[in-house]
Amino acid sequence: MSKPEYARMKFYCDEDLCIDCNGCVVACKEAHEVPVGINRRKVVTINEGIVGKEISLSMACMHCTDAPCQQVCPVDCFYIRVDGIVLHDKDKCIGCGYCLFACPFGAPQFPQDGAFGIKGKMDKCTMCAGGPEETNSPAEFNKYGQNRIAEGKVPMCASMCSTKALLVGDSTEVAAIKTYRSVAHGKGISTQSYGW
Amino acid sequence: MANTWGYGAMTNHLGDMQNSKAIIIFGANPASNHPIAMQHILKAKEQNGAKIIVIDPRYTKTAAKSDIYCRIRTGTDIAFLYGMIRLIRDNNWYDKSFINDRVYGMEEIFKECEEYTPEHVEDITGCPKELLIQAATAFATAEPGCLIWNQGWTQHTVGSSNTRLGSILQLVLGNMGKPGGGTNILRGHDNVQGSTDMGCLSDTLPGYYGLAEGSWKYFASQWKVDYEWLKGRFKSKEMMEAKGFSLSLWMNGVLDEANAKNNAGTPLKALVCIGNGISTITQTHKVKEALDKLDLVVFIDPYVNDAAVITTRDNNLYLLPAASQVECSGTVVNTGRSAQWRSKVIEPLYEARPDEEILFDFAKRMGFYDEFTAGMGKGKDFTWPEDATDEIARSLKTVGFQGRTAARVKKHTENWHLFDTTSLKGRGPVSKEYYGLPWPCWTQEHPGSPVLYNINLPVSQGGMGFRTRFGTERNGVSLLAADGAAPVGSRIKGGYDEITSQNIENLSGIKLTDEEKKLVEGKNWKTDDSGILVRNALKAGLAPYGNARARTIVWGFRDEIPKHREPLHSFRQDLVKRYPAVADIENHYRTTVRYASEQNAQNWVADYPINIVSGRVVEHMGTGTETRASKYLAELSGEMYGELHPELAAKLGIRDGEMMWVYGTGEGKIKIKCKYSYRVDENSVFLPQNFSGVWSGESLESRYPAGTAPHSFGENSNQVTSYGYDQQTSCPETKCSLVRIERA
Repeated sequence: MSKPEYARMKFYCDEDLCIDCNGCVVACKEAHEVPVGINRRKVVTINEGIVGKEISLSMACMHCTDAPCQQVCPVDCFYIRVDGIVLHDKDKCIGCGYCLFACPFGAPQFPQDGAFGIKGKMDKCTMCAGGPEETNSPAEFNKYGQNRIAEGKVPMCASMCSTKALLVGDSTEVAAIKTYRSVAHGKGISTQSYGW
Repeated sequence: MANTWGYGAMTNHLGDMQNSKAIIIFGANPASNHPIAMQHILKAKEQNGAKIIVIDPRYTKTAAKSDIYCRIRTGTDIAFLYGMIRLIRDNNWYDKSFINDRVYGMEEIFKECEEYTPEHVEDITGCPKELLIQAATAFATAEPGCLIWNQGWTQHTVGSSNTRLGSILQLVLGNMGKPGGGTNILRGHDNVQGSTDMGCLSDTLPGYYGLAEGSWKYFASQWKVDYEWLKGRFKSKEMMEAKGFSLSLWMNGVLDEANAKNNAGTPLKALVCIGNGISTITQTHKVKEALDKLDLVVFIDPYVNDAAVITTRDNNLYLLPAASQVECSGTVVNTGRSAQWRSKVIEPLYEARPDEEILFDFAKRMGFYDEFTAGMGKGKDFTWPEDATDEIARSLKTVGFQGRTAARVKKHTENWHLFDTTSLKGRGPVSKEYYGLPWPCWTQEHPGSPVLYNINLPVSQGGMGFRTRFGTERNGVSLLAADGAAPVGSRIKGGYDEITSQNIENLSGIKLTDEEKKLVEGKNWKTDDSGILVRNALKAGLAPYGNARARTIVWGFRDEIPKHREPLHSFRQDLVKRYPAVADIENHYRTTVRYASEQNAQNWVADYPINIVSGRVVEHMGTGTETRASKYLAELSGEMYGELHPELAAKLGIRDGEMMWVYGTGEGKIKIKCKYSYRVDENSVFLPQNFSGVWSGESLESRYPAGTAPHSFGENSNQVTSYGYDQQTSCPETKCSLVRIERA
């Protein structure tokens, strides 16, 4: 009997295509009703305005296989799904911020509530896969947002990307698209526009 | 463009840009203003090897994706273009057979370009001549190349000359009428092409029919009302046929009594504004004065129009809540002339009502509801908006709307997945049709025309030559296309006049029956309701509008060929004498407009030494009335700012993040945050045009009705943009202005 094949879910953003339109950021916030001030996804532009050197990139949680956030968490609130998506349990999270120390990408976000900016539970990109609550339940939506993966849908950010710079999916599929684009480079128009 | 080759619309379409080998983006910033268009442009770059050439005063997000970037001073586009044309002429890169067969008057252009040597262009534009040569070489040697422009070209005193010379550049290179070529003007927002087609302008009836008596009589017949009754609604026949005020100049009809003579002896008394951010034009302080002075002001919008809080009037100001786009249905037309059906998602919320219901109510109370709705031909039992869409299809023959019925547009929208996104071509039940039936779509069987002026296709499959719109000859020279330059399958192998009842038999070779003759008597392709003229023309492979040459000379225009003219408020006073503005214009859209007198009023740059570069931010649309009401967009772009080069800021003694006062050449001033940026050069400040709700340092938030204020506010940049309007169209000059800046 063959073993089931699991996907390894990954993001990829192409700096040659990202135009810093922030469509991914707004799509994420609208989809998950994220509070203002929390940025599960950010677009960063470096060398802004320097001729020939400006590049933009959309960044969120990279869903590491050997996730540093998980290793440093004192209450062990993180768990990694078999498809590689890194999620956490907000009921266990104590909002200490160690994961922000450990994360190489600045992904963990902390809600600012109240006059003195009390640290809340950590929030981050779920790759639109919800959390430990019952799938697609109101409780899951309230704490983690939509669970589009469970519905077989592409995460909101990549589906909304205006230039298709941002890709997400099984890492072999993402790599295949990159390879295809690389082979098609300069060979004429060989694909449909959307999702090329 | 309409004055160059017949129609004023994007000639190709978004997906078609993928077929380009070089793309010039000139006075446009699609990465911020048309992010989806950027996908097609970047795909052309990657898969098709297209060179991306960006020419812009500011190093924009679009420029960041370019292969060649040329920074020019604002308002020097014509000099740059002539510099390119001169290089193309001298290097023999121009398309001789295309010019010979399909263009009139190119000699004049080749003469005018003579003075624009690379050195002279460098002096005028500030762009190093090496970059001009690189850009011209890359573009001229690409086969084909497409040209993209935007408001960076149109919002100038010489905007109409910019767009004409851009069109001429594409004629020089023979880039017209082919996939991957064309002049691709990306329209500013959702359905602008649709509203332009519908004649939401003061100088024409729907479908670009103009305002002449014949046009009114034609529309009286289409609307099924009596011409005399229609005429009776106007003060006089003369006023009925006179251009109205334009969006940019209407306030002078309120404020300046001297203009009353152009307006039947009266100043404007009332304003009804439906879905228009009227503070996005220059001279916003004049807009405020005019709003304060009117007897009645009505705004009809889904959000509170920011002009409603700019005015300080305390009576006779009405806000009527209108339904948003998701609460209505009907067609929308994209920048590439394709129509799509938009379905209603939800019923209008709260007190909001669809525009047509509000307008029907106006008509009822003014006593002409029956006449208002008669054109649909269904009496009181019409279905909105389908019957109106079919009425539009019947009436707008000039742009070939006959085939764009509600049923066909819906069928395309519902079968969206069956169309190729690069060519727009359909498969299966929509095979041989193009998505959204891009106009002209001559008959109910016609597939639409994705690429205008393409003679490599039969007319019945979307082909056509240039339009015979300016006569058939001038000074003894034929304006018709040369022999051999006709659409594939054409019975006439060269040029021909537009189709009329007199020439149809001769041109098409099809004899009309006596009954048909009676039906088409006295008609032409624009007015024939029977459809016989268009049908027979298509049978003979003829374009109903004729087959002529594009022209470089526009007789009757102030500049018969495009000429560089320094902005009214020029950064280069030394060039003003050599390239002066035109003389002042009397009765320009009913108002007197200053050109030379404004330019010479004083040495502006001495007192206002900083150049404005204006534009939009990706997060906001227009005045931001809708987008600033979104908490997430307000979070990303929450306040007004001005981008200053750190060198200039240092000279002015302003630190990054500090507030500064910006004083315009008019009476306006704004207090905004300084943002250090290398996007602009050391003489300029970039001001986004998307903010409102703060007036010269004072917040207007308290003036919004309870619960309607947006999440972010900011000073309106058009308080400080200088006086100036296009010398033909009256489009506001938002791009060339001078200001003085001080630390606040």
